[in-house]
Amino acid sequence: MAIYKEFDIQPQNSAESGDVISNIKDIVSSGMWAEGAASITTFFTSSVQSGSSGDYYLDVYSSDTATDTQAKPQFSVAYGHFNGSGSLGRSGITGNRAAASIYRQLSQTLLGPGEDQFTFAGSGAHIKPKYVYAISVSRQQLREKMDPGNWELKIGTRRFIDDSGATTNPAVNQGGRVFNIVSGSIQSGTAVIKHTATEQFGGAYGLFYPDLGMLVFNGPIINTSASLGTVTTINTLGGNNDKFVAKIKTGAYFQSRREEVVTSQHYFCRVPNKEFNFSSNPTFATASDGSFTQATFFKNPKTFITQVGLYNDAGELLAVAKLSKPLLKSYSREAIIKVKLDF
Amino acid sequence: MGFLNNTTVTVDAILTKKGRELLAQGSNAFNITKFALADDEVDYKLFDVTHPNGSEQYGAVIENMPLLEAFADENHVMRYKLVTLPKNTQKMPIISVQPATVHFTAGAGLVQPPITVAPSTANVSDNSYTFILHDQTITTMVVQNPAGGQGGGGATTPFFLGDDDAPNSKTLVAKSVRLQVKPLAASAGTSSKSTQLTIVGNDTGATISITVKNSVVLGTGNQTLFP
Repeated sequence: MAIYKEFDIQPQNSAESGDVISNIKDIVSSGMWAEGAASITTFFTSSVQSGSSGDYYLDVYSSDTATDTQAKPQFSVAYGHFNGSGSLGRSGITGNRAAASIYRQLSQTLLGPGEDQFTFAGSGAHIKPKYVYAISVSRQQLREKMDPGNWELKIGTRRFIDDSGATTNPAVNQGGRVFNIVSGSIQSGTAVIKHTATEQFGGAYGLFYPDLGMLVFNGPIINTSASLGTVTTINTLGGNNDKFVAKIKTGAYFQSRREEVVTSQHYFCRVPNKEFNFSSNPTFATASDGSFTQATFFKNPKTFITQVGLYNDAGELLAVAKLSKPLLKSYSREAIIKVKLDF
Repeated sequence: MGFLNNTTVTVDAILTKKGRELLAQGSNAFNITKFALADDEVDYKLFDVTHPNGSEQYGAVIENMPLLEAFADENHVMRYKLVTLPKNTQKMPIISVQPATVHFTAGAGLVQPPITVAPSTANVSDNSYTFILHDQTITTMVVQNPAGGQGGGGATTPFFLGDDDAPNSKTLVAKSVRLQVKPLAASAGTSSKSTQLTIVGNDTGATISITVKNSVVLGTGNQTLFP
């Protein structure tokens, strides 16, 4: 007589089969945008957000915040200038110097100690530019990391991808931290690069940090390529964030996948024929004397499993799994229910 | 020729609130060692022994029903557990308890003796019970006769409690418990308060609930008021 059944737990390196298999790791990839969508084709900003912190960055949504109260930012864009040009303020003059703050924040986060300016691949005058544009994917959409080789962003009329070469092989460059942003497309299923980063005249388009979900664009190069009209005048509010978002809206395409490693445990709940054939369900027996509500259950009881509870020694319910439909159990039936618990 | 039906079913589990709490405390605190099965949502009155297609279809209505997704609140799942009993069992275990209701009367005030609640299980025996007092502002509950010589630990409440009840509820595992009168704070219109004491057999899964009523209301100067 029992309502609990102990798992046969064997050490992880044991040759014996057990009921619990631990530490199973799976790489799960999915569309990165709202509700798992693989791409966004419409882009919106919020007047509330832009009114408060728009000088620093703009949150970009995939639906109109004026009509969709549930809309969440998908990514943010920011303009950064090493000296703060294109924003109000400078040394000795009142102003938040938003562009300088953003640039220094990016360099402090993404560059190594002792480096204070981004250096891009390629050759020419703009491999070490004074200003950059950045895209930072929101934490909720990114989860763990952006999937290298599986994103494409259109700014204006030009399409951008990375040069990881990992489009069809997610195991490529696991240890890598930064790739070049290049002109190209993944629409054919594999990455088609127009010009490699080193071939790019004037300097490469940018850098891609998959683990941080960040794209840093070479300011002068993207300014020319997308005709942004970046304002780099000292102590002047240039509205560069708005200009960058406007060109993303014109491009109307941002496709991306995210990746995360899911660790799971599998519990094999073995239900032998002689066990779990009776129920404490109040409709199984009468409340007055406990006799079965169905006379046919005598010596041939039948139960229907709808859920599995996983417990610790103290009898505390730690996890629960539901079946998609009731599973018949009787003395002539056995079942193995594999319960997968993700962490 | 046909294909054999391998009966392995794979399902995804979710952590309960308790599971998340223990996981946050570290991997040692989160240690699953056993499982139980339940048949919540099933009404065995739908088992139709008059089905025109015969005995194979008696349970068809139940087997074909869709099920709700799992709830993370452990108080709302695994309510009716499946039990392993001898095949020739004729009657399911039933818990009976004396007294059938508990009432701390206003007349006896705070000096009335504690009441022992000692359930017993008919047809099949239980070695211990889980006592769930839904609102411990009404009475105090302590272990009278511990389970297996040990003190009454706190299992997760394996029975339906509303969110409003959970913060006030108290759970003990024991063979019997003792209820002691507790003065109710005076408030306008309050002459008594009631709650439920749910008792679950830890071996059989059988359940019963009794009503606990307290009419001892304190007035100013800690004097017992008589309605």
